[in-house]
Amino acid sequence: MDELTQALQENWALIAPVLILQAILMVVALIDCFKHDKTNGPQWIWVLVIVFINIIGPILYFVFGRRND
Amino acid sequence: MSLIETARLTKKYNGNAAVDNVSLSIREGMCTALLGPNGAGKTTTLNMLTGLIKPTEGDIDFNKDYAGDRRKHIGYLPQHPKFYGWMTGEEYVSFSAELAGLSKKKAKESTNEMLSLVGLKEDRKKKVSGYSGGMKQRLGIAQALVHEPKLVILDEPVSALDPIGRREILELMKKLKQHTSILFSTHVLHDAEEVSDDIFIMKKGKIIIEGGLSELQRKYQQPAFFIETEKAMDNWLSSINEKSWIRQSKLDKKKLTLTVEDVDTARDALLKDPMLHKLKLLKFEVAKTSLEDLFMKVMR
Amino acid sequence: MMKQWGVLFKKEWTESARNFKWLWLPVVFILLGVMQPLTSYYFADIIENFGGLPEGAVLDIPPPSGAEVLAGTLGQFSQIGFLVLVLAFMGTVAGEKSHGTHLMVLVKPVSYFNYLTAKWVHILLISLSSFVIGFAGAVYYTALLIETVPVNNVLSGGAVYALWITFFMTLVLCLSALIKSTAIVAFGSLGTALLMSVLSMYTPDLMKWSPGMLSSHSQMLFFSGNAGDGFWVSVGMTFILITGIMILTIYLFNKKEVAGHTE
Repeated sequence: MDELTQALQENWALIAPVLILQAILMVVALIDCFKHDKTNGPQWIWVLVIVFINIIGPILYFVFGRRND
Repeated sequence: MSLIETARLTKKYNGNAAVDNVSLSIREGMCTALLGPNGAGKTTTLNMLTGLIKPTEGDIDFNKDYAGDRRKHIGYLPQHPKFYGWMTGEEYVSFSAELAGLSKKKAKESTNEMLSLVGLKEDRKKKVSGYSGGMKQRLGIAQALVHEPKLVILDEPVSALDPIGRREILELMKKLKQHTSILFSTHVLHDAEEVSDDIFIMKKGKIIIEGGLSELQRKYQQPAFFIETEKAMDNWLSSINEKSWIRQSKLDKKKLTLTVEDVDTARDALLKDPMLHKLKLLKFEVAKTSLEDLFMKVMR
Repeated sequence: MMKQWGVLFKKEWTESARNFKWLWLPVVFILLGVMQPLTSYYFADIIENFGGLPEGAVLDIPPPSGAEVLAGTLGQFSQIGFLVLVLAFMGTVAGEKSHGTHLMVLVKPVSYFNYLTAKWVHILLISLSSFVIGFAGAVYYTALLIETVPVNNVLSGGAVYALWITFFMTLVLCLSALIKSTAIVAFGSLGTALLMSVLSMYTPDLMKWSPGMLSSHSQMLFFSGNAGDGFWVSVGMTFILITGIMILTIYLFNKKEVAGHTE
């Protein structure tokens, strides 16, 4: 594990943008989810999906969870 | 001069005629009702007029004075209007206006005007998804009117509303009547009687009765008496029920509705009847039946 | 006429801004783009840590070339990227039809040509921008971690792949306009793209003309700066097909009735 950690630390500047983008995706999805009173399916499940499924979770929410009417 | 005329308009789905040989003529400046039960073909007829459905047979002619795509001159409110919920009411109406060809500036002015007319000025910055059913109906009317169409077509504009919303829309329609021609469909006779000048009654895809409201009323309304007494009227009623001037009687406890052939004969006969006076008269009223009886007969 | 097109286009644009498509699609493509160089670079380390190799075993994998990494990135775009694009845009017309919002638009004096092309240009704009920014991320990370690929190879390969995306999104719009079910739109367009790619892979001689050849042409451009045999045939054919599909879609959409049988 040490080697990988070390390798990652060396290129921290390259890893950081990925994490930041993931965080942006998650935060925007969460804000949108809370702002809407109604989602397709229970809201709390969507919150879990957004928070715990990396990248895919927010996408799933935007595609299927948002109610667009 | 009629605004829009159809000749032998027919729409078939899988060989079944949803609209069958309908010829109607909408007069400019009038409010016309298309009256009939659900499934009579009213929506299909209206959709053909707007161009959303193509007729299987028959022609539609719009007044030659208003040239070009007839959609330019028509404003339409579907029975269940569906809006882009992410727009605000103001954005939606203004979007509709610009689609109809109004300049941005004109669209904005007209939008403001329409939103105040339908009473949505306060809520114009709210998202449409948050609007109530009545508000959506009023927004629908605003978007139908915003490009100042020659003919406004409203499909069952009041049927989905509660009594208050219904009242509001009917009052609004009365106001609109002064500025533009209206064609609306309804399955409620009372609504048609309240606002329309002309009535077409549809059943199973066909127009079965048509004419001006007053003409129809003259033709089909019958003089009637409403009588209320303190004592029961059963015996007295059976004694007079055979009289030639009575058409129909309907007794509801101590309230009697008598439809008669001729008002004067009937009034004389009734008021001279000593038996009636003994029942202690509470109310004696001369009136007319509504078109209800006709409508019920036709619809059955 | 142009003015109305603008109004319709602005509506599409605003809608995508409000439902965050303009945010999340580019972000997804950037993530897809940079993932490939990152995982290629750390591949050996990752295997050593998690691969469960016996103690002391030495892993000797030659590091991939820059062109290989970029080709792999396009592979990601063709799979996950296309799936995401379809999910985002399968409802562009079909959704309005199933919801009924199109009625009050098309009852206005709106030309169906404007209605469809405004949507077409809009979905192309988002898809291509997302691709460009994601691909730029891939190129940048590849240059930092692996090696630089000649600029001309990158640009020409990327442009060819952009044409493949354009073809694919045209297909999505076409199916969305003609079919009401978004699920069928998604399966139909992904299935067609997959079929075209597979056929091009196994019978390249028969499929010279096919737009499905474009992604392998773009990969070849990364490697050598030269596209394969029949490159211009497939490029030309793709342009013709795109135009043909659009004309057909508009024609069929005009012929179809806007409102269904309700009563």
